[in-house]
Amino acid sequence: MPSPSLSLTARLRFIVWMTILAAVVTMMTVAVVDRTESETTSERIGRLNESFACPTCDGETVAESNAAVSATIRQYIADRVDQGASDEAIRNELLVAYGTEVLTNPPAEGFASLVWILPVVAVLLGVVVLGFVFSRHRAGDREPTDEDHRLAEMVRNRVMTTQTEEHLGGDRRG
Amino acid sequence: MNAAIGFGFVLLGLSASALGVVGGVYAFITAEGARRRRLVPMIRLWIGLTVVSAVGAFVIMEVALFQRDYTVDYVTQVGSSTTPALFNFAALWSSLEGSLLLWVLVLGIYMTAMLLKFWGRLGDPLMILAMVVMLAVAAFFFALLAGPANPFGVVEMPADFDGPGPNPLLQNHVLVALHPPMLYFGYVGFTVPFAFSVAALATGRLGEGWLAETRRWTVAAWGFLTLGIVLGAWWSYEVLGWGGYWAWDPVENASLLPWLTGTAYIHSVMVQERRGMLRVWNLSLLCATFALTILGTFLTRSGVVESVHSFTAGAIGPLLLVFFAVVVALSVGLIAWRGDQLRAHRIIESPVSREGFFLANNLAFGALAFVVLLGTVFPLVIEAWDGTRLTIGRPYFDSMARPIALTVLFLMAAAPVLPWRGASAEVLSERLLGPALVAVAALGTALAFGARGFYPVLTFGLGGFAGGAALRQVILAVRRQGWRGLVGRTNGGMIVHLGVVLLAVGMAASESYRSEQTVRLEVGETAEVDGHEFRYIEPGAELNERRHRVFAAIEIDGGDVHHPAATSFRQTGQTVPTPSVRSGFTEDLFLVLASMPSPSTNTIDLRIIVRPLVAWIWVGGIVMAVGTALALFPGTKRRTIAATSAALEERESGDTGDHSATPPGKVEPTPDSPGDLQDHESAGVDGNGDGAGKPTELTPTGGDGP
Repeated sequence: MPSPSLSLTARLRFIVWMTILAAVVTMMTVAVVDRTESETTSERIGRLNESFACPTCDGETVAESNAAVSATIRQYIADRVDQGASDEAIRNELLVAYGTEVLTNPPAEGFASLVWILPVVAVLLGVVVLGFVFSRHRAGDREPTDEDHRLAEMVRNRVMTTQTEEHLGGDRRG
Repeated sequence: MNAAIGFGFVLLGLSASALGVVGGVYAFITAEGARRRRLVPMIRLWIGLTVVSAVGAFVIMEVALFQRDYTVDYVTQVGSSTTPALFNFAALWSSLEGSLLLWVLVLGIYMTAMLLKFWGRLGDPLMILAMVVMLAVAAFFFALLAGPANPFGVVEMPADFDGPGPNPLLQNHVLVALHPPMLYFGYVGFTVPFAFSVAALATGRLGEGWLAETRRWTVAAWGFLTLGIVLGAWWSYEVLGWGGYWAWDPVENASLLPWLTGTAYIHSVMVQERRGMLRVWNLSLLCATFALTILGTFLTRSGVVESVHSFTAGAIGPLLLVFFAVVVALSVGLIAWRGDQLRAHRIIESPVSREGFFLANNLAFGALAFVVLLGTVFPLVIEAWDGTRLTIGRPYFDSMARPIALTVLFLMAAAPVLPWRGASAEVLSERLLGPALVAVAALGTALAFGARGFYPVLTFGLGGFAGGAALRQVILAVRRQGWRGLVGRTNGGMIVHLGVVLLAVGMAASESYRSEQTVRLEVGETAEVDGHEFRYIEPGAELNERRHRVFAAIEIDGGDVHHPAATSFRQTGQTVPTPSVRSGFTEDLFLVLASMPSPSTNTIDLRIIVRPLVAWIWVGGIVMAVGTALALFPGTKRRTIAATSAALEERESGDTGDHSATPPGKVEPTPDSPGDLQDHESAGVDGNGDGAGKPTELTPTGGDGP
């Protein structure tokens, strides 16, 4: 926070950054809140088509695939949307008809939920390791001791002698 | 005849590379000094013969394809008398065996480049071992070609036999001739840094010398891979009829994985060059990148995953898996063996520093690589576990990748302006002001154009932030150095960043604001979709000896006429949709026939997809490639830094010859320390000097000691 003792430029800077922050927050709020346009029926059908996997073909969604079964499912989705079925209902019906294979989004239950959990665990682990690295390194930050200087001198002498020999790298091997 | 000569080349390549491995290992283990130097011409000969065989086998296969030589097994699978020359040339890599021929050809090209670059230095044990690794990889692929994936098998066909030609999807667009070779130059290119890291680990010469040698190779491979992936997305957009460019298909994921680890490496290696840290991590990333190219080949060429790309399953799957296991075991073993020499006693003073942000970058790219690998492999694991068939598709990858991608954009904004070792609030505030204003402007523009929604708008804002930071660095560099401010690794890297921003904005916009409608049209009827008028003029057909194309002429907004079509290939009887795209700077109109025009009904079902800013993705990809090329040019050297950092970095490496030492513990302030910011802002100055390849240039003055 700026205090009266801060220079004019520092205060100006603070004001500028607070303005920027306010502008960003305002605009992001508008972006999230002001969503007048709701999803049209055809967009909803498109989204549903993309959220199911073609059960017979290779790694394509129902929307992409040209297979007959995909055409059937597309038609089914369109019909059910027309009849006013919810996304959840359509999902469950297709799940019963074709099995988990038809879902592109793996279920968050049972063994399969690992696919959601593991990445989160990995990232948290990474953050913890990085945090540990930073804190350990800060603790290890110190002035060189006499012992350090002695070791460095030793290494320097050794390097100077080996530099004259042919560079084989063999003396450290094994 | 062709079959015999081609197979001869394969056998020659196999024996030459195998003998090269044996000879190289012998030279490394037993021979000393002068005797080893006498072995050098022999090693050159084995490498030369391997390269000649790779080129020879490739050329013979092309000759056979063009002669329609149906005594060659592979030609009967992908050749056809009706295929036009370009697609016939590209037919070589349209199936498993031929794509391995392309693989060894590219490997041969890289080996030639290495041989020429290091011609006089092959007596160096590190070079010998690097070549041994290259030869071993070549031997493995030649062995596949000689045995389970032999393209030169001899067959007897009736005189009037004509082959089916390549897969219809692979003879529909010119990008087929570009995307796979670019991808392979990327994939195979990572063999070079892998070879050098294995050699450095095995010889124990773990200083930064080998890094300097391989830096350009890695960046070049990364650039090719980038271009290959983007061209692949472009191809899929133009050819497959679903209006998208990225489906998180296992093969796409397989190409993305090494790209992610490679990208992480390109950033973290700078921390090693500057500060001598992260040695184990960098070596692991390089080895992982190479291993992932092999794993990707296994996943996509063995038929274990379902994908539009996968070729018919062959016997090579288990072999690739074994090779992958060997690569991983070798890497892990070597790194564990040399682990104690790789430890750096340097410290990261502050997370708010260039190196701190590079670490965060690595965390983000590592996380994304983990997600992609998990999502690709998990269905296999769970099916083996309890038989459940599970699909992991778009929604999963999208929801995982989005937050990571936004994090990366944020890091891209801050990292380039951050000094090494730490930054004061004052410095940050001054340097980030310009980028922040660009971000605000980008947000405002996006809102004014009606963009809404959390993820896309945040992407535009952060894209502006990152783009502003990259622009700032480029402008500073150009102001300081003139045109040289555009070349060199750092400056080229900033151009790459600009490309990434374009790509991110294009992806966010085209994914979030696509609208789609399928309309039924009679001849002469007009439909209006998203403010555009589409008039169905007339059906049409085009018939030649190769294919039968049924199209509908659609007039857009009373102007240009497009012809979305369905194409049947006569040799295979397959029909593929052939979309027509009107590309523009602001939006793409993507037309694809959902039902064929037929004379009886007089109507068509036309699927119309409107997606904004798709073209930005391709432009972004090209800018990334251009930036990579600029990064390969020698940048401005800053000798003081080169000497200083070399001395600091070599200190505890155990390297015997080239380098001096400084004491552990607190280091002397380098010119990058926070107190000395203005003059040494990183823009436009390549820290280590791109010419630092020769050991002599890394030799420090020794003036840093106590």
